Amino acid sequence: MFRSFALFLCLGFVLLTGCSKSGPDTGASPSGGTPAGKRLTIAFMPKSKGNGYFVSCKQGADQAAKDLGAELIFDGPVSPDPAKQNEIIENWITLGVDVIAVACENKDGISTALKRAKDKGIKVVTFDSDAEPAARDFFVNQATPEGIGNALMDEAARLCGGTGEFAIITASLTAQNMIEWQKYIEARRMAKHPGMKMVALRPCDDLKDKAQAEATTLLGAYPDLKLLMNICSPAVPGAAEAVKQAGKAGKVKVIGLGLPNENRRYLKDGTTDTVILWKTVDLGYLTVQAAAALAKGELKAGATSFKGGKLGEFRIVGDNILLGEPFKFTKENIDQFDF
Amino acid sequence: MLKRHFREFSVLGVLLCVLALMGVFAPDFFAPQPLLSRLTAAAPKLVVACGIAVVMVGRQIDISVGSLFAVCSVVCGLVAAAKLPLPLAVASAVAAGAIGGALNGALVAGLRLPSIVVTLATMVTLREGLRLAQQGVFIDLPDGLQWIGLPMIGGQYLVCGIAITVLVAMAAVMRHLAIGRAVHAVGSDAEAARLAGIRPRLVTFGVFVLTGALTGLAAVMNVVQSPQVDPNTGRMLELEAIAAAVVGGVAVSGGRGNLGGVLVGFLLLACITPALTYIGVKPYWDKAIQGTVILLAVVADGLRNRKNGR
Repeated sequence: MFRSFALFLCLGFVLLTGCSKSGPDTGASPSGGTPAGKRLTIAFMPKSKGNGYFVSCKQGADQAAKDLGAELIFDGPVSPDPAKQNEIIENWITLGVDVIAVACENKDGISTALKRAKDKGIKVVTFDSDAEPAARDFFVNQATPEGIGNALMDEAARLCGGTGEFAIITASLTAQNMIEWQKYIEARRMAKHPGMKMVALRPCDDLKDKAQAEATTLLGAYPDLKLLMNICSPAVPGAAEAVKQAGKAGKVKVIGLGLPNENRRYLKDGTTDTVILWKTVDLGYLTVQAAAALAKGELKAGATSFKGGKLGEFRIVGDNILLGEPFKFTKENIDQFDF
Repeated sequence: MLKRHFREFSVLGVLLCVLALMGVFAPDFFAPQPLLSRLTAAAPKLVVACGIAVVMVGRQIDISVGSLFAVCSVVCGLVAAAKLPLPLAVASAVAAGAIGGALNGALVAGLRLPSIVVTLATMVTLREGLRLAQQGVFIDLPDGLQWIGLPMIGGQYLVCGIAITVLVAMAAVMRHLAIGRAVHAVGSDAEAARLAGIRPRLVTFGVFVLTGALTGLAAVMNVVQSPQVDPNTGRMLELEAIAAAVVGGVAVSGGRGNLGGVLVGFLLLACITPALTYIGVKPYWDKAIQGTVILLAVVADGLRNRKNGR
């Protein structure tokens, strides 16, 4: 008994030290490099630094900082880690940055730290995933559930010519965001595409291999299936591989929410038709533009629109700045993206 | 024969009932190509279940196989992606599995720690370590790796063939070789086995190494089925493998179980999910039905043990 207890302690110790030591050196090499002076300092934090998704957000963020002549500090955990995010926020408070933009790993975990930043007069925006509303001034919302649901359903109907059977592969039957998307997919189907019929919903536990197996089964069980709609990212390449192996590429369409790199080969060989996401570069750009405007006092609570630099006007609903319509990755544009 | 293996035959009966029902209500279930694809996709799990069954016969448990499976998949993928020769990729995955198994075995047999705790620790450590190292990014494999360069059908037969070979070989070893009987003896009563001249700790160590190596082999069998490696692969695999062994009549308390039963238990669990898809049952039922099957198997074992006064 003592042995197992000791082992648990060891395990806990390893995990804890692993967390606290895995971080990067904070505040390293801000992109400008010049003495701070009166330049605006914008601190920008992804959920994790190495993630290709956030690397492409950073491209846009860098561009916006350059356009604005502001100083951008980019830092975050090496892997998604709420505790490390808090630590970096505390450092930024001490450093006295003008505005913090953060994609929150854990809503509850980070909100206390962000509130403390706000108390010190630092402006806060969130992007990608929100904190508690009281802990930030604005949330740059990359896609509403309605926007995603509509885009998926419209694209499915377009590819099927308005009629036919389709099946949905989801991550789990309990994932809140996916239940929300399914609600809007169904609402759109009823309103705009009554000829489309959803014949099955299958969970893949957010695993590519399981999605491949589920898709193989669906293709056998529903011979009239015209399209597989995959609403979690590993399911898109999984379903595409199943369709390809079943020799049904082109006959059964594949679409879904996913990442360009995971789907590149299937988009190029025509197995997958459309991968839907948002323009991550624009998300980073808009976030930094909004952060700067907020710090300068140009963007205030209650505004209904916002001019995001070279990207033009964006709509604001409540305290959400909307990035707009989801973006479609296809065979034609996939080469412009690498994440 | 029938009486001694009543437990295994009763599961086989259930499996045949399910298949007969499918034959009546959804004959498409047996259409050859999707069936072969489904069996191929499930084959790696059978190999892992063989390893788990041997561990359980030896009165231990290994819940780290799912994480180890992911590590081996990533090792295989990285070696292959580095354009190193294919046999090296396969060997490194199996070696990684054996090393992981040896770590478990050394902690369990060497330090006499409880295997559930040791493998819980390695399960979490390997999975989180992999997350840190790979950040969830897929590994793109070179073209020649899928189906080991064979046409798809050939690759599918090869993967299924390896699974069957492993099963038959393990069954023969467990039944006819001294080492197999030693595992049974250690699982039944380690002290008695020691007095009979068996070295229980060495047997336990060996059983973990074997399971690790089989997990590595299974990872390769899975990696060759698609052109990308998902580093999250193998999540919940340990539960599926343990469930197959338990349903197939392997006793959690050690000393009893055979690999024919594991095959039947594995097939029963593997066909439930697709069967429900074919007859159009809502997915909410999948896990409930699988759970019920496992529960029935455990209850049957409990009743039998009571009757035998164990």
